[in-house]
Amino acid sequence: MTMSSGPSGIHPTRTLAVVSAGLSQPSSTRLLADRLADATVRELEDAGHTVRVETIELRDLAHAVVDAMLTRFPTGDLARALETVTGADGLIAVSPVFTTSYSGLFKSFWDVVDPDSVTGMPVLLGATGGTARHSLALEYTMRPLFTYLRADVVPTSVFAATDDWAASADDPGAGLPRRIARAGRDLAQRVARRENDGPVDPFAATPSFTELLGGS
Amino acid sequence: MQFGIFSVSDVTTDPTTGHTPDDTERVRNMLTIARHADEAGLDVFATGEHHNPPFVASSPTTMLGYLAGVTKHITLSTATTLITTNDPVRLAEEYAMLQVISDGRMDLMMGRGNTGPVYPWFGQDIRQGIPLAIENYALLRRLWTEDVVDWEGKFRTPLQGFTSTPRPLDGVPPFVWHGSIRSPEIAEQAAFYGDGFLHNNIFWPMHHTRQMVRFYRQRFEHYGHGRADQAIVGLGGQVFMRKRSQDAWNEFRPYFDEAPVYGHGPSMEDFTRETPLTVGSPQQVIDRYASFVDEVGYYQRQLFLVDHAGLPLKSVLEQIDLLGEEVVPELRKIVEAKRPADDVPLNPPTHAERVAAARAAGEAGATHVGDTADPYTGTVAEGTQPAASQEARA
Repeated sequence: MTMSSGPSGIHPTRTLAVVSAGLSQPSSTRLLADRLADATVRELEDAGHTVRVETIELRDLAHAVVDAMLTRFPTGDLARALETVTGADGLIAVSPVFTTSYSGLFKSFWDVVDPDSVTGMPVLLGATGGTARHSLALEYTMRPLFTYLRADVVPTSVFAATDDWAASADDPGAGLPRRIARAGRDLAQRVARRENDGPVDPFAATPSFTELLGGS
Repeated sequence: MQFGIFSVSDVTTDPTTGHTPDDTERVRNMLTIARHADEAGLDVFATGEHHNPPFVASSPTTMLGYLAGVTKHITLSTATTLITTNDPVRLAEEYAMLQVISDGRMDLMMGRGNTGPVYPWFGQDIRQGIPLAIENYALLRRLWTEDVVDWEGKFRTPLQGFTSTPRPLDGVPPFVWHGSIRSPEIAEQAAFYGDGFLHNNIFWPMHHTRQMVRFYRQRFEHYGHGRADQAIVGLGGQVFMRKRSQDAWNEFRPYFDEAPVYGHGPSMEDFTRETPLTVGSPQQVIDRYASFVDEVGYYQRQLFLVDHAGLPLKSVLEQIDLLGEEVVPELRKIVEAKRPADDVPLNPPTHAERVAAARAAGEAGATHVGDTADPYTGTVAEGTQPAASQEARA
């Protein structure tokens, strides 16, 4: 899904990739992902940017992800999704928490992404779960994954338990909208500062034969 | 363009009958397959080299030496020869011997091997895969082109006054290809030496193959061996054919579904769309493979994998017949008509062409190294010191 919005001006367009690993339809994971994207877009537009949002539902790519693990090359929609993610200026990654961690599908997707391709990319993390007792899964599973990928993970990550969606604005602990707004601000600031400098050319880094010979 | 077959020598249970050939049966089947390819008029038979089950082809030059004696026209080659874990001294000797025995009807393809545990069995370390491929091949070339070699490197003991025998046939070493799927360093190596580059794309989509071949061609030109379109390129491929497309599809499906390499993964529909695997009629194979020239430019060798996934010998021989009778004559006509210029090589160089070129350039080497000094280095082979120098020492 592609949405373009905002005034075009002196500020260059920014692309946000949104990866949602929710399995049901409709899914609260996708809902959180959309909210986080909206918050980020609002901030970027206020700063004068035009924003393009590309949302990737991993459910649609589930078979292709497993195929890519077995064959070692991505095809079709998965190949396009990988290009979207690695070519984005910022990333929002949201997974349900299953059995104390992000879902297997979420991990499998990142397993087929070139580990060097999101280096330095601003990333906002989100997760959903049945109860707030899973909220730290973001910090002990998801954040290390993106730290390994050398992404620039924003300090605020957002966990939404079932209760959070039901809370009215007056309820104590009805912090979800506030946390979403703060997280969107964090990500927008980073995305505004940094533009994706394009895919890594796999041949550019190839040493010349003289270097290869000298190094052997 | 040359058309041939290559084998990975896997022992795989036939999923339709439950029959698993033993190692002896599989080796003998490979010999039958190679002889049949020769009789069917195919241009190349290439064997893999593996040192772990379920593969049986551990000793390529023994196999190819036998085949040199019982075949007439087919070029014998490898896919690939492990330049990392084999001692380059042994490679120099073994392949020069094969060259002499086959009267030059051979070439070989270097590869690194991607099975980590194999490396330590031969005293090496897979983390050094690229440096091993670079150093070992540099030494192999010297052993073939220089009569007496003094050498020191990182990965084996130094050589002093070493002469590899037999000297290459007519003083000209075999033509060498380098095979790689993902490593641009190997394409760079092939380009540096002006050797051939084969991209074994059987499990890869064409856009990846196109990038690798383009890189090799650019570097080939960069190193001054000719224009990019004159570089020597080969591709892999795999096919299963019956006269009627639907018969091929039905017969091959259980083999595809159970094959260790791609079974239980993508569907045959997906895999045939994304990779060169073509299941169908001979005409469908012709149409598909004729398009590869449009992707990578005119190339000189197309190898097909036909004897894998547990297919019975009879089916494999039938595939070879279909290739020889229906596919290759027509496919060759189509692709050779697409050759961009007369000075783009039609085929990889033959031994006779290489000898003529070497002689014209004054680069053909000695065919025997005796007790005379190497004209380039002034050194002599160990153990054959001329009487004069022994006297001087005494």
